Formats: sequence, C-alpha cells, structure tokens
Amino acid sequence: MSDQSHARSDHDLAPGEEEQHSVGTRILGYVVGLVLALLLTATSFFIAGTDLVWQPSIPVALIVLAIAQMGVHLVFFLHITTGPDNTNNVLALAFGLLVVFLVVGGTVWIMAHLNANMPPMDQIMRMQ
Amino acid sequence: MLGKLDWSAIPFDQPIPLVAGAVVLVAILGVLTWVVVKGHLPYLWSEWITSVDHKRIGVMYILLASVMLLRGGSDAIMMRIQQAVAYQSQGYLPPEHYNQIFSAHGTIMIFFVAMPFVIGLMNLIVPLQLGVRDVAFPTLNSVGFWLTATGALLVNLSLVVGEFARTGWLAFPPLSELSYSPGVGVDYYAWSLQISGVGTLVAGINLVTTVLKLRTKGMNYLRMPMFCWTTLASNLLIVAAFPILTATLAMLLLDRYLGFHFFTNEAGGNVMMFMNLIWAWGHPEVYILVLPAFGIFSEVVSTFSGKGLFGYRSMVLATMAICVISFMVWLHHFFTMGAGPDVNAIFGIASMIIAVPTGVKIYNWLFTMYGGRIRFATPMLWAVGFMVTFIVGGLTGVLLAVPPADFMLHNSMFLVAHFHNVIIGGVLFGAFAGFEYWFPKAFGFRLDERWGKLAFWFTFLGFFITFIPLYIAGMLGMTRRMQHYDVAAWRPWMIVAAIGMAVLTIGVICQIVQLVVSIRNREALRDRTGDPWDGRSLEWATSSPPPVFNFAFNPDVRGEDAYWDMKVHAQQQSLERDRPEYQDIEMPRNSPTGFVCAFFATIMGFALIWHIWWMVILGGLGAFATFVVFAWRDHDEYVIPAEEVAAIDRVNLEERRGLISMAGAV
Repeated sequence: MSDQSHARSDHDLAPGEEEQHSVGTRILGYVVGLVLALLLTATSFFIAGTDLVWQPSIPVALIVLAIAQMGVHLVFFLHITTGPDNTNNVLALAFGLLVVFLVVGGTVWIMAHLNANMPPMDQIMRMQ
Repeated sequence: MLGKLDWSAIPFDQPIPLVAGAVVLVAILGVLTWVVVKGHLPYLWSEWITSVDHKRIGVMYILLASVMLLRGGSDAIMMRIQQAVAYQSQGYLPPEHYNQIFSAHGTIMIFFVAMPFVIGLMNLIVPLQLGVRDVAFPTLNSVGFWLTATGALLVNLSLVVGEFARTGWLAFPPLSELSYSPGVGVDYYAWSLQISGVGTLVAGINLVTTVLKLRTKGMNYLRMPMFCWTTLASNLLIVAAFPILTATLAMLLLDRYLGFHFFTNEAGGNVMMFMNLIWAWGHPEVYILVLPAFGIFSEVVSTFSGKGLFGYRSMVLATMAICVISFMVWLHHFFTMGAGPDVNAIFGIASMIIAVPTGVKIYNWLFTMYGGRIRFATPMLWAVGFMVTFIVGGLTGVLLAVPPADFMLHNSMFLVAHFHNVIIGGVLFGAFAGFEYWFPKAFGFRLDERWGKLAFWFTFLGFFITFIPLYIAGMLGMTRRMQHYDVAAWRPWMIVAAIGMAVLTIGVICQIVQLVVSIRNREALRDRTGDPWDGRSLEWATSSPPPVFNFAFNPDVRGEDAYWDMKVHAQQQSLERDRPEYQDIEMPRNSPTGFVCAFFATIMGFALIWHIWWMVILGGLGAFATFVVFAWRDHDEYVIPAEEVAAIDRVNLEERRGLISMAGAV
C-alpha cells in the first residue's frame, strides 16, 4: 500500500506545473475559463439590478453565482481536478475549506450569541 | 519631513531603557567593528547573510531566537522583581513602563523566540531527515528569515526610539485604538508583527511544500520521521492561521491610520470581534509552537531509548487530529465574554477533547522508553523533564477548559502559570532538547554534557519554584499584569517566584557557559562520524556538519527509522563496494534578495510607524525592485563537480567505516 502511495506521489503535481499538453489545448482551457468567468460576472451584475426575478431570491442567486465563480477559477486556472495526479491539491483544498468553514461558521455563531446576550444599550448606561 | 518623529521620541528621562539601549548599541557596534577589523565581513556576507542553504538559515533563525530569549528573559526578570517589591508601594517601575515590559515580554517570547526557534530547527533538520538537498524554495526561505529579523529589529528599536505597546501581547481594543493609545507603541507592535508575519507565512508555505513534494526515494508518508510529520502539521496550521492574524491586525491598523471603525466603541465597531478573530489565530498558534516540540521529543525519546517510536501510526493520527481540532477551541480564551452556556459548553468540550491526542502522545513516549536501554544524555533529560512539566500544564489546561472554573480563574495568575507551564515546559524544553540533540549535526562537535545537565536542572527546578507560587497566587485571587498590589497574602508567593526566577537565570547562564566551554573544547568534542548519538533517522547518515549538498547520493529508504535500518543491515558497506559513479550536483546560488528585501521592509516599517510617507514609498519601491531583479535573474544554480563531491564524501566515509562495522556486528 505504502509503495503505491509513493508511486502516486511521484506524479502528484503542484498548481502551475501541469503535464505538458500541447499549447493549443492549454490556451483553449484558459479561454473557456475566461469566458465562463466573464459570463458569471456579467450575470451577477445583471441579477443585482434586475426586477425580472423574485426580489428575495436575489441574494441566494448571487451566492450561487459566487460559488460557481470559485469553481471555475479552481478548475480552469488553478487546475484542481479529481484525478489521481492531484491528491495533494484536493486535500489542501479540502483542508482550506474545512478551516474556512470552522472559522467563519464559528465566528457567526459566537458573535450571534454574544450579541443576543449583550444587555440593551440603555441598561448599560444605567449600570454606569 | 520626519512625520511624528522628533527628539521627544528618545526617552532621556527614563534611565532603564536608555542605558539598556546604549549597552546593546555598544555591543552591536563592538561586534561589527571586530567583524570588519578582522576581515570577516566578506565571509559573513557570502556564507551567511546571502546564504540560501537551509542549514545556515536554520542556524540564523536559532541565533535570532537565542538573542531575543535574552531580551524577553530580561523583561521577565524585571517583572518578577517588580511584583516582589511592589507590595503597598510603586516598586521601581512606573506603570507605563511596566505595561510596556509585559507587552514586550509576551510579544517577543512568542513571535521572536518560540517561533524562530522551532522554525529554525525545522529548517535545519527536515530536509536532512527527508534525505533531500534543500527546501522547496531556497531564496524564499532566506526572505522569510530576514523579514522575521526585521520584525525583531523594530520591536527592539521601540526601546530607544518612541515606546512599545502598553496593551498586552495581543493589543486588545478599545485600549489599542487611537483614542486610548495615541502613541506609536501599538504601531510598533502591529507593523513588526505584520512584517514578521509575512516571513512566517513564507516559511510555512516553504516547509509544507518541502515535506509534500521533496522526499527521497522510498520515503513515503508513513516512513517519515515523526519530526517531519509534526513539521507538516505545524506548517499547515501556519498557512491556515497566519492570514487571520494579518487580516485582524490590518483592520486594527485601518482603524488607527484611516479612521475606520472595525473595533472601536463608537460608530458600529465591535470590540468582541477582535477577541474572536485574534484567538481564531491565537489558539492554532499554540499548536504551531508545540507540535514541532512534540516531534523533537519523539526523535529524542526514540534515539536515547534505543528503540523505534512506540505506536508510530497512532502518533501520526494524534498529530493530524490536533492539527484539525486546534481550529475548534479558540473560544476558551474568552469564555467570560458572555457567549452563553451553549457556545461555552461546546468549546469547553472541544478543548477537553484535544487533550486526548496529546495524552496518546505522552503514553507513546512512555511506552517507547519502557523496556528500552535509556541513556540520560542532556537531550533526554529535557525530554523527560518535559513530560513531567507538560502533564502538570496540560492538567491545569483541562481545568481551565471547564467554563465555570474558568470564570473563577480567567486572567488570574493561575492562567499565567498555566500557559507558562505549557510554553516553557513544552516549547522551550523542546527547543532546548532539539538544540542539544542537533547541535553536533549543525556544527560538527558535541556540547559539553556537564554544563548541559547543570543548565537542565537549574532551569527545571527554577521553573517550578517560579510558577507553582503563581498558581497559588492565582487561587488567592491575584490577577495578571499588576504593577502593584495591597494584599498581604500574595507577597510571600511573589518573593518565592522571584527567587525561582534567579534559579532560572542561573540555568540560562549555564546554557551560555556550556556553549562557550564547548566551543573552546571543540577538538575534544569533535563528532567525526556524523552519528554521535547512534541515531535512527537520515540526518545522521551524512557528515557533521553536512556538506552543502547534504547527501552525495540521495539515500534509498526501505522502512521506518531509515538510517537505523541501514546500519543494521550494513547496507552502507555493500553500497561502498559497488559504489556508483559520483555525479555533478546542482545547488541554488546564494542571493542577497532576502537581506535587501528586509532592509527595505525595515525602512518601510519604521516609516509607517512614524508616518513618514515619502520613506514608506521609498521602502516599498525598494523591496519591489529587489523582487523584480531577483525574478529576472539569469543564473540561479551552480554546479559542484563530481570530483569535489567524491572528495568530500570519501572523507566522511572513512570516518564512518569504523562505526558502521560496529553497528553491523550487533
């Protein structure tokens, strides 16, 4: 098992040192990524100001578009794939997401409780 | 022209910092003059300052940490004396000076002693243990070191030019906001941490990449020495946590410089958010420091017990568990801020859970020692001393993780005693163990055992005499950071703690004497084999000090305890008979990039602190230009010809032959 994992780590690639595809294929990848990214950006700006969709759904739509944007960047520009040559990158991404989730989620939770338990301002003034 | 800077910044009315500053200045000038007069400057420049060799950079990190340990230790001595004498009196330190001292003590000890010491040891040893020739990004490594040194320089500059923060080592707002701290103290604090933080982040990225990408043939993850694993975990935490510190301090600086309201009392700022964010970095930071120390103890305990590490895989698992759980406990630093029972209970339980993998480690070390042939050399003494001390610190930590108990003990001397117990007993003992253990590898001669053991015993006993009284004073209700007090019951304990500090100081002096004595006797203490401790991992497979290329041939690893395996099977001998041809080795060229970048960063940091805007632009442009010049360089490597490699390697093989045949006979 351990021998296999070593053989695999030989092929593991860091972002930016992707395997040598032909220049044309690589440029095509970047162009597709750029078009998708621009499309998503334009859609976000359009949605933010439009009244074509139900108003309360706009924030949700923006969040979805933002996450899609991140996905496009990861796949087309940072070359994160699920292939066996990408274990480190996927693990690093997973660790990063976990930490962001813990810190952001924890912070929102903690701050909500702190704010809820804070006595109203007039009460603080009276204590002083 | 010079912003806020004028002659009033120099504290002519305060003798202590002025005299201390003058002494340091004279010492620095003396050393510089000696270097120039003796003609060592070209050597120093080409072999050390511009070096991109991970071993040299590691040594410089440790040197920086040792010097700053003396500075932070002086602060500690002054505080202990102040609290011993300041019963119903003002003592000898005025409040604003005392406040600067405890702030500087904490900042220096964490950022400029503990961090550079562990990063230095990781830099020095990890590439050797992995059996490779350098770290992943050698020049970046040098940049990281020099930026850390810049931060240290700025903190020390605050002693004589201006003032340091009076806010404690984490600069909590609203005290650290402009309205309550209008001076430059907090700016010194924040900018030196921002600059050295970049250095730390760079070092973290470098070491993560090194462990993941540069391992010798056969060195797969589950064959890596424990120190490499803890290095990986610790640096993953650096990469994940230090951006939080940078962002938090950046927000504080925006408040102070541009009138933002992130953490102010008015205009919608939220002070509690600062506590939350700084501890979201601060708790992982604790594990960034202590995980490498755990790795060092694993190596030391295994080597000096003459056995492989007990429960290697459980140790790996425990390390990675700590790495993840360390991001789930930060609220225990502010239970008392009022998040309520739900939140406090969850974080309290998470804090207790993190003691479990730590306990697994303690038992693994004990079982490694069990049935082993233990040699109580100095590094082993530090390791055993650590186990005793750290268990006490860990247990008081579990006690503090219980929210109701924490409400009683929060910000008391009990807390002060607890975190010194884990940081001195864990990190500092680990750093000293690593220093004693790997010194022969770095310099080619062993350290004097007699003085080393004296240093251990004085430090060990001094630690307990200093900090057990602080636990008791905390139980008696004494809060931290008191410049003076009127409670008679605390007095005796403060006096005992001051005596303990004297014993600790003797320990530090023994450490210095040990170094001097060892350097004088270096011929007698010379390590000719490269393996003075009968070691188990690959750093002992090369000569002491290792050649610049570390290994003439990248070692082929067949199992855990790679070098031990080679010795047992005496592979080295058979390898010698059918020795393959030596080949040219390409190594990275030295580069002044790091030093020059840090030079401009120092200018920029100083200018930012004093609001000298033209100088900020100058420093920024200079640093960027340095980067551009480096990026457009033509030659980044030089070649060591095969004959030279062969000549260097043969000397080492001759010395080693005797030892290998001995081990082969076992």
